Amino acid sequence: MSTDDVMDLEDRLRAALAARAELVRPEDLGPVAPVVPLRPRWRSPWVLLATAAAVLLVLGVVLQGLAPDPRSDDVAPEPGPQVELPQDVGRDWQVRSDSSPAVLDLDGDGVDETVRFRAEETKDFDGRIRLETTLSTTGEDAYGVARLSTTIGTYARDPIDADGDGDQELVLPFDSMGGPGEPSYPMVFDLRDGLLVQAAVSDPELLLMGNTPVDGGRTPYYELVRSQTYWFEDGSLYSGRSVNAFAEGPNMTATRPASMVFDAWRWVLDAEGVLRPQDAGCVAETPRGAIRPCEPGARDALPVLGPEATEFFGPGEEFRWTEGYRYVARLEQQGEPTLVVQGGDGRTLEHPIDVADPRVMTTQPTRIFYDGASVVVRSATDPAVFQVLAQDGDALRELAPVGDVPLTTDASHRTWLTTDGALVTVVAEDDARWRAYFWAMVSSTEMVALPAGEVCFADVTDTSTARDC
Amino acid sequence: MGTGVEASVDITELYAAHRLALVRLAVLLVDDLASAEDVVQDAFAALARRPEAVRDPSRALAYLRVSVVNTARSALRRRRTARAYAPPRDTGPPSPEESAVLAEEHREVIVALRRLAPRQREVLVLRYWSNLTEAEIAAALDISQGTVKSTASRALVALQKSLREIEGEEER
Repeated sequence: MSTDDVMDLEDRLRAALAARAELVRPEDLGPVAPVVPLRPRWRSPWVLLATAAAVLLVLGVVLQGLAPDPRSDDVAPEPGPQVELPQDVGRDWQVRSDSSPAVLDLDGDGVDETVRFRAEETKDFDGRIRLETTLSTTGEDAYGVARLSTTIGTYARDPIDADGDGDQELVLPFDSMGGPGEPSYPMVFDLRDGLLVQAAVSDPELLLMGNTPVDGGRTPYYELVRSQTYWFEDGSLYSGRSVNAFAEGPNMTATRPASMVFDAWRWVLDAEGVLRPQDAGCVAETPRGAIRPCEPGARDALPVLGPEATEFFGPGEEFRWTEGYRYVARLEQQGEPTLVVQGGDGRTLEHPIDVADPRVMTTQPTRIFYDGASVVVRSATDPAVFQVLAQDGDALRELAPVGDVPLTTDASHRTWLTTDGALVTVVAEDDARWRAYFWAMVSSTEMVALPAGEVCFADVTDTSTARDC
Repeated sequence: MGTGVEASVDITELYAAHRLALVRLAVLLVDDLASAEDVVQDAFAALARRPEAVRDPSRALAYLRVSVVNTARSALRRRRTARAYAPPRDTGPPSPEESAVLAEEHREVIVALRRLAPRQREVLVLRYWSNLTEAEIAAALDISQGTVKSTASRALVALQKSLREIEGEEER
């Protein structure tokens, strides 16, 4: 091809890719995962069976192949002198190319074993996993069966020595497939009598990763949750749960502080094969996300409330947004003021502006709505007035404030838009304290203020003076 | 002071901010919207497994892009295995949505793109839609920059050839 041919083809390719990609519009996407209450893991038949397995181990009984649904090759957890799964369960399952074998010293002889993961083939990739290895000490095979959330991409986390016996336990992550925000947890497998047996967990609600609901924390528009996490340090498994709760709203919105303080536990495997938590004190996230022991006075990061966005355009003017969804908006004032938005995908949207002497902020309220046009309109003559518009398919819709917090500025409230697209309202409390809220969309026509913590100001009109109270 | 609403370091915010763009990337690699949404959902699920990536938004986004490309490739591989009885050049008819809306000149390019080898298609999509540099594509696909350059060059030649075939088929 000549250079001109290549350039023509490149241009044609760029145009076709852009055209095809932009056929996918924001409203074509399926709904985002909703906030759903977490079913306590102790109610899970899997955990109950795993607990039964641990108890039977104490009695010298070995079982495995536990699964939520009965299968012909499962072993019923009935008392018996020695219950064993047939050795060939899963032996013919394939090792998927997207799985990574685990390398750890299962038998404690100083030589690592390699554990392969054979996946049971099912239509929905939700089958069981056969864990198998050859022990370096005896040359014998060891195996186990696990049920993870998916058979795709099986891999192990850091090995641990939770019982302090000098060998290592295998840790596999159970990743909830319920979507981002759904808690996940680690599954620990210990080598016992040639079998890799999953350890039961005495307090499973403390060994999670994700956001978990606070009892009594559900409101009509959001839910209070705590952040939970787990990590590995010096061959041990630790978990933490945030001391404070934060709000989680619909549409994947949350007001989690940038860093939080956690209660921590170190997990120890006892002789009965049960993982039990030991108090590990207080830990805190660093700004870069690492976990460190708490310094004196450690607390959650303050919500970032500024700087305040101040740029706007008025009647007869327009502004072009070039990041994310690209669009141009102009404020027409022939009779009733009207905002006219021309999207990069060729759509034109209009909406009347119900604000005296309107000014449209040139910072998009991306923390409210990102996948399309959205604007905050203020009044040049009345600082108490705000109007928020967001695109809903081929229309602009006004988002009405719902809940207890008013969208206004007066003696006990102050509302502003930050330069990073957050719409903030602070509500005065006692002793110069203010309760901060971030506005979040709850439906195509409503938004609610999510609580984001307490803050004090030297001057509430200057966001840079925000500080701990 | 921290950096604001957890949004900037929270996977939920990444999801809200980048889901559409990632679905658009995925749809260029797997053709249909439902598969593309699945690919992106899987990518976020994979990201949730690696909290160390979640804590650094810039790494997380790069991770998501790589994950989308890899998951899309796996999805294509599964689909091709399922369609093993079909002629190898049969890429299936364009979706109704695409036929109805996509201009003919664009439709031909997209159909031609589907006839390329997965790696060639990935390089072209990352280069001409995601606007990544050769170095960024090399990092995303875990190949050398030289391989990116040669793959892109061969992919354009193959694309041109496919386009001529499609135009010939339509003339007949």
